[in-house]
Amino acid sequence: MLKKLVAVIAVLALLLALPALLSESMLNASVQMLIAALFATAFALLCGQAGMLSFGHAAYFGLGAFATVHAMNAFGGDGLLPTPLMPLAGAAIGLISGLGAGYFSTQRTGTYFAMITLALAELLHALAPHLKEVFGGEAGISSFRMPAWGFEFGSTIEIYYLVLGWTVLCIALLWGLTLTPFGRLVLGLRENSHRLKFLGYNTHALGTFVFALSAAFAGVAGALQALNIEAANYVVLETQVSTAVLLNTFIGGAKVFFGPAIGAAAMTFFGHVTSDLTRSWLLYQGIIFMLVMMYLPRGIVGEILARFRGEGGAVNPVAVLARFAGILVAAAGFVMAIELTQRFFSTDYKAARQAGGWPAVEFAGHMWAPFAPLTWALPIVLIAAGLGLVTFINRREARRQEAQI
Amino acid sequence: MSRDILVLDHLCKSFGPVEVTRDVNLVIREGERHALIGPNGAGKSTLFHLISGNYKPTSGSIRLDGDEIGGLDPARVNRRGLARSFQITNIFSGLSVAENLRLAVMRRYGLQFNFWRRVTHLRRVNAEVDDLLQKIRLTAKARSIAGDLPYSDQRSLEIGMTLASDPKVILLDEPMAGMSHEETEYTTDLIRDITAGRTLMIVEHDMDVIFTLADRITVLVYGEIIATGTPQQIRESARVKEAYLGEEAG
Ligand SMILES: Nc1ncnc2c1ncn2[C@@H]1O[C@H](COP(=O)(O)OP(=O)(O)OP(=O)(O)O)[C@@H](O)[C@H]1O
Ligand SMILES: [Mg+2]
Repeated sequence: MLKKLVAVIAVLALLLALPALLSESMLNASVQMLIAALFATAFALLCGQAGMLSFGHAAYFGLGAFATVHAMNAFGGDGLLPTPLMPLAGAAIGLISGLGAGYFSTQRTGTYFAMITLALAELLHALAPHLKEVFGGEAGISSFRMPAWGFEFGSTIEIYYLVLGWTVLCIALLWGLTLTPFGRLVLGLRENSHRLKFLGYNTHALGTFVFALSAAFAGVAGALQALNIEAANYVVLETQVSTAVLLNTFIGGAKVFFGPAIGAAAMTFFGHVTSDLTRSWLLYQGIIFMLVMMYLPRGIVGEILARFRGEGGAVNPVAVLARFAGILVAAAGFVMAIELTQRFFSTDYKAARQAGGWPAVEFAGHMWAPFAPLTWALPIVLIAAGLGLVTFINRREARRQEAQI
Repeated sequence: MSRDILVLDHLCKSFGPVEVTRDVNLVIREGERHALIGPNGAGKSTLFHLISGNYKPTSGSIRLDGDEIGGLDPARVNRRGLARSFQITNIFSGLSVAENLRLAVMRRYGLQFNFWRRVTHLRRVNAEVDDLLQKIRLTAKARSIAGDLPYSDQRSLEIGMTLASDPKVILLDEPMAGMSHEETEYTTDLIRDITAGRTLMIVEHDMDVIFTLADRITVLVYGEIIATGTPQQIRESARVKEAYLGEEAG
């Protein structure tokens, strides 16, 4: 308990200190990480805790964003609420639309539930371009933040603290929820909704409400995004937004409370760092997701916690480090292979070849020719060496454990 | 003469062309312990599913304390004072034993939509949970994950959860299946204790349990009631011997 408290205070202190430590661009990335973390935590209330996999959470995130932009533009730009309270508009629209969508979708479970959420989100996405008044058409709707409570809300630092405040508040509320009777019933819904009925609970009402709460917090995340970029565009309603939050949640660990937030923050960070370096970020995201699901099915945070609890035998730190090194080496090889392939098959390269010959391409500060042996030998060697090391360590550890038995 | 608490009237259930419950008429009196026996596939569990709201009757009526409950959803039936256990263990496998019982107890305190109290601070709920844990002899395993328990402990938990709704009428579907001899004896006593002042319907294959526990017995064969009576009457019924008990002996 004390340990947890210390950890929470340390993280909060770090988050409060960030603006002093980071560049403008990294602070911007941090704002996005916070928003993604809140969105994933809200999503995980439904998908991790209640066990209902939604494929359409972009809808509530997006509605939150649009409601906020409209609230900011209300009264000739004076705003419906003071700027710091704008996320309440996102929460309200999330709650209301979540009640409606939840009422219908939670009448079914499993695949059918997922399909209904997907259909509802796609419906909204398809409708949005036709409702120019509401969604602003191709250009979207822009707005701008009014000063309030003595703050200008003009600088990244101010918006960072605003987003931080809301994210911490909402995640704290969601954490508090897990400790209440309703929070526990939500787990019961996931574990065995059939049995809950026979204990006298109205599982449909429970499901609808947890859906609405999840949507309300997703709406706050959307509102924060709208506040951050001072605009909303119907691309926030795209399927990709729904899948991203789902992948982030599972990469972090859907069933551990802080897993989704950490997963989302990490993936957003990687996205930010790599989007300038590579065009293949979505591919890497997919590969990371696949690997996590195959080898760390409880998600990264979930697996780490399980190890701390002592599941899967004692941890040998040397083996862990060696495995990690092996994975890094192999990953470097994979990245090199993918990046080179991507470059050689790009339209840019086609254009370059018009001049004749097979020019070399740049990767990691060096030039690589398509038919030079080293160009392909290096990634292959890296992959083989990395995987070889991991396999070697795994075998040795397995033998060691056998010897102990 | 006590009241009739549960009345089944011309109750029928078919799955497509298959008639699983055929014109069942049965009156359960308040306070009695009533056993339902019959060969495998006789439709005992189906009858429980009908009474508890899991299945809707094809025709006929079910009255609980005078009110029609046939076709009501399971939650409503439970809130009218009828709780059941399942033949196939039906618990919250991923949650702790205490949490399983807490979910079962909480409903009566109207906490379904409570967002402000901490479950660990619900004094009366938790006291009830502790009491139930003791009764089903799982106090030492309160924090274990229910799905990790040995099968017989899961059966006990199943009984505890059924009892947790403090029902007027309890339906237990083969509660002792898979228990050891000692556990069966203990559980028989437990069931007798906890059903004092309530009404019990129990499906069980263990004849010793039936004959020690039951005030009356109903024999179901191919979805039809072939006899209802005291244990003495059932033991002596030629028809029952032929249809059911005879098989057991032979
Ligand atoms: N949902 C269903 N759909 C179709 N047939 C069913 C269904 N449920 C039960 N049955 C059939 O109804 C008959 C009675 O089943 P039931 O489970 O009620 O028997 P039982 O008396 O409880 O048997 P056992 O002692 O094995 O538990 C069986 O033949 C079974 O195959
Ligand atoms: Mg049965």
